[in-house]
Amino acid sequence: MTQAAERTHLWHRVAKTTAIVGGVFTGIFTVLLAANLVGSAVLGPARELKLEGVKLLVQKDPANETLLSEIRQRDLKIRRDRIWRLDFAHKAAHMLLASIVLLLLAGKIAGDLGKELPHPKHAADRGEKQVREARQARWAVVGGLALLAVGMTLVGMSGWVRFVQAEDDGPPFASWEDKQTQWHRFRGPGGAGVTAYANIPTSWNGKTGEGILWKTPVPLPGRNSPVVWKDRVFLTGADPNVRQVYCFDAKSGQMLWKGDVPTVPAAAKLEIMEDTGYAACTAATDGRRVYAIFPTGDVAAFDFNGRRLWHRSLGVPDSAYGYASSLDTYEKLVLIQYDQGDGSEGQSKVLALDGTNGQIAWETKRDLPNSWASPIVVDVEGKPQYVALADPNVIAYNPADGKEIWRAECLGGDIAPSPIYAGGLILALEPYAQLVAVKPTGTGNVTETHIAWRMEEGAPDICSPVSDGTYVYLLETADLLICCKLDTGEKVYEQEIKGDYQASPSIVGDKLYILDVKGVMHIGQAGPEYKELGKCELGEECHASPAFVDGRIYIRGNENLYCIGQAP
Amino acid sequence: MIRFARLAVLAVALLVPCLEVQGEIRFPPPEFESGHQFPETTSPGAQPVFHEYVDVAVLVLGLLLASYLIFKRRSRRAIFILMIGALLYFGFLRDGCICPIGAIQNVTLTAFDSSYAIPLTAAAFFVIPLVFALFYGRVFCGAICPLGAIQDAVLIRPVAVPRWLESGLRLMAYTYLGAAVLFAATGSAFIICRYDPFVGFFRLGGNWNILIIGASLLLIGLFIGRPYCRFLCPYGIVLRNLSRLSKRRVTITPSECVQCRLCEDACPFGAIREPTGDWPEGEYKIAKRRLALFLALLPILVAAGAWGGYTLRNQLAGMHPRVRTAERVYLEENAKVEGTTDVSDAFRATGQTTELLYTDATAIRNRFALGGALLGGFIGLVVGGKLIGLSVRRRRTEYEADPAGCFACGRCYQSCPKEHERLKKSAEAMAARV
Amino acid sequence: MADKQESMNRRKFLREGLWGACLAGVGTAAGLSIARNNRDNMVWQIDPYKCIACGNCATYCVLEESAVKCVQAYAMCGYCDLCTGYLVPEPKALDTGAENELCPTGAIKRTYVEDPYYEYTIDESLCNGCGKCVKGCTVFGNGSLFLQVRHDRCKNCNECAIAAACPSQAFRRVPADQPYLLKGAEQEP
Repeated sequence: MTQAAERTHLWHRVAKTTAIVGGVFTGIFTVLLAANLVGSAVLGPARELKLEGVKLLVQKDPANETLLSEIRQRDLKIRRDRIWRLDFAHKAAHMLLASIVLLLLAGKIAGDLGKELPHPKHAADRGEKQVREARQARWAVVGGLALLAVGMTLVGMSGWVRFVQAEDDGPPFASWEDKQTQWHRFRGPGGAGVTAYANIPTSWNGKTGEGILWKTPVPLPGRNSPVVWKDRVFLTGADPNVRQVYCFDAKSGQMLWKGDVPTVPAAAKLEIMEDTGYAACTAATDGRRVYAIFPTGDVAAFDFNGRRLWHRSLGVPDSAYGYASSLDTYEKLVLIQYDQGDGSEGQSKVLALDGTNGQIAWETKRDLPNSWASPIVVDVEGKPQYVALADPNVIAYNPADGKEIWRAECLGGDIAPSPIYAGGLILALEPYAQLVAVKPTGTGNVTETHIAWRMEEGAPDICSPVSDGTYVYLLETADLLICCKLDTGEKVYEQEIKGDYQASPSIVGDKLYILDVKGVMHIGQAGPEYKELGKCELGEECHASPAFVDGRIYIRGNENLYCIGQAP
Repeated sequence: MIRFARLAVLAVALLVPCLEVQGEIRFPPPEFESGHQFPETTSPGAQPVFHEYVDVAVLVLGLLLASYLIFKRRSRRAIFILMIGALLYFGFLRDGCICPIGAIQNVTLTAFDSSYAIPLTAAAFFVIPLVFALFYGRVFCGAICPLGAIQDAVLIRPVAVPRWLESGLRLMAYTYLGAAVLFAATGSAFIICRYDPFVGFFRLGGNWNILIIGASLLLIGLFIGRPYCRFLCPYGIVLRNLSRLSKRRVTITPSECVQCRLCEDACPFGAIREPTGDWPEGEYKIAKRRLALFLALLPILVAAGAWGGYTLRNQLAGMHPRVRTAERVYLEENAKVEGTTDVSDAFRATGQTTELLYTDATAIRNRFALGGALLGGFIGLVVGGKLIGLSVRRRRTEYEADPAGCFACGRCYQSCPKEHERLKKSAEAMAARV
Repeated sequence: MADKQESMNRRKFLREGLWGACLAGVGTAAGLSIARNNRDNMVWQIDPYKCIACGNCATYCVLEESAVKCVQAYAMCGYCDLCTGYLVPEPKALDTGAENELCPTGAIKRTYVEDPYYEYTIDESLCNGCGKCVKGCTVFGNGSLFLQVRHDRCKNCNECAIAAACPSQAFRRVPADQPYLLKGAEQEP
């Protein structure tokens, strides 16, 4: 008996010792694995950060061989380290498993061998004990229920989002009528540069601040014009590396938001001449979203809260002076005139993107070279037409599907002035050469049939024309205003107004508003005879055409955006 | 060379559309002058299906063997060896997946989603242990389940959990079962799989949080026997309730109970029930009133639970990825949050309208309204039922294994003197034959 | 005595009835599952046209080394010198220098074929499934590099942890005998 007991005791000791050994090894391998984990979680990212740092250094100094070899060495070390760590973790995990098995086995055997006979304690009054236990158990269940209720309350406090379907704003774009009252694109509705508001200020002084409601600096420069929709003013600005869209509050001038527009790597090395700049194209809005395009070929849409909805790269355009055509909108489409190259490779096109998601709605190729005019959307006898110019054609498309309606071959040269629609005629300028009036009521090639008249006594090369319904006014880049009759093209007068001009002239009621590059607005009487009514100084250089909406004028100077008007 | 390449990129970049469009052939695959052929993309095959059928066969054989060992041979050692074998096979070799616990979700999904087709093996894994439970009790738990086995294997020094605490803790398991069924039925998530504490050890890898929870459970399991099995396992809830009705029950004694009390502390899982004693004076009247109270309380608890679950429908619905996407997109659309996430970017890339997204999310929330109410009602029912069960008088004359809680591990056999008698008798019979 | 016997019989009857009901319930579950069963074993796979190469595949897999790897659709590749999936956006040189490689683990191997074409292959033992090359290739190139679950590594979990974390819900179950959703010139998205 004693021998067996002794043997059991011995095995018990052995089992216990083995269990302890197993426990120690378990501890060791756990610590090793944990250290490995901490190492990879801490050291790994630290090393990678350092590598990124060296990579940034190399960008500034590309030819540096020592830096390059340092990158390669660090990279190699990181890779070797990663593989080593994985391997180590794998081996250590298996060793840990083995130690745990050893610990458990020995522990169980030790437990078994060390077991004692059961010693049931004095039997208390069973009935009472069971009643008590049952009562305690009921309370434990109630307690569990209480804890559950607490848990549920905590869950209930976590947030959830109520989907309030927005009050039906109606169609996802503003109506044609609404657009006529705002300044939703370059030179306002139809690109005409005409406003019907009668309450536009006629005098102000930017230097003294008289008549200036607010003035806000614009972060990045650009020659695009302000776009105004109800209580928001939109501009874009860019430099060779950054493209941004800005939104200002129309009442206070505070910048509400600015949005970035990314580009593709291929566009990063694009160089554009200073006269055009990196933000030459004016934005456009459809009353729900604002759209911007840049000479890098990037188009983006933002909602009025500043969230970028989508962006798209149309590919870097091949444009001699830098792409400059502004956008327009039709219903929920963004219309883009994408003329480039010399016309021989068929790269030019007009296209429309769905404003809500940036998908191409339609695309029509055209065999025309680059052009810097901005297209217009006009209503011809109840039907909409989208008119886009490039040497040598004036072409009108259906803005809903991009199908060509008519074309007239009547122009030449580098077309920069944009067309207008006045007195039932489409007026297009060929720089230095002529002003052509086309009747838009035809179909197909209307070169022989629908050209109403031509004025071939010279024409401006940058500023777009403006008309008050009776006369059409052309503004030369330096010193000269020309007035012709709208119905025949007959020249009425040539007026010298000293100054250099980049911004296109505008008609406010019965007055001409002409902005020169020094920021001086020449206000004159429209009509068969020019009469100067006043000159208002801004105190800053200006290249962008102004916007006129309901008692206010918005002028973009080279650095600031001005709002001219009276406080409400 | 570089300039050429850059020009090439530039030239073709004229046709580059935006980020959302995938996989346009911008650079046409070349025709090699040297006649070099395109290699093939490799496609290493998945595990052959028959492995799964082998698993089902092993399961059935294992359960048959377990039943034999528990009822006929009555040998703890043999059961232990079978359990370790099952741990090695179902656990470490087959990585603990698919298991009957997770199969609850697959079967639930089959019932609620007509587009989901359950693999036969998953259905088999769900059904077979339940059928065995109806005949032989929880033989699956004691000898086959790898999660149970790993906990049983680390149990070195059992400490008894007070009887009163057990019922309260078991509420967690009922809640887990209900929640798992709800989330599986709505197609939101398989939470049993996601929060399986031990599968990380079987796979030797996994999410760190789950591994830590698993390690903690095992550490607890060193002293408190099978904590996951007793207080968390959702399949265990189904098994224990079916086991109450089983044809054959595990008995501590092979013949009759002589009330020697030697088995009282033999079960590390608290599954041994002692004979009932007489209630003190007046207890019967109180108990009758209490029972009436709880019976009346039951429908109130169910209703309260249903109301609670219904109230939480929107939070519960947040488990569904479509609802989460809709919430994020909605916040972004209404400028309540800055920036975008991968999820919202991916959604916008699909071109779906937000109207569709919100409609889908609202439909899912409506499903959770009903599902949440059912879950809450279920928990209310469980609590009420338990309270009733604890108020009913039981009558036992022998030491019995609780049919619901007994894992059929066989530890208690050795503590019964009748068992020793039987073993001596059979040893003598063997010797006589020789 | 007779009462007790009766109540015993009643209890037994109830018990038997309940037992039968449970068996029927289990049988229903079995029957429903058989009716709606899928004879094919299903495994997880990524739909490459939904994948946005977010990088979750590398971190969410339950395995230490993710079962998701990048694969190359050789028939779709442009074999470009300036591979936007292999090279960083502004490479110093079009070579295999570590400073020029997009892949953090150097798993893409570039071999010269003929002028000006290079072949790009993936070394799966190094690939970690991060998808950086996939993003570069899909946005600026042909999209011939894409992520796929490799079934010699995948454990086929009942709930795939990556599938649950995928922002574009690109994971779905496919039959095990055709477990890949490969991009190819003739495949429709």
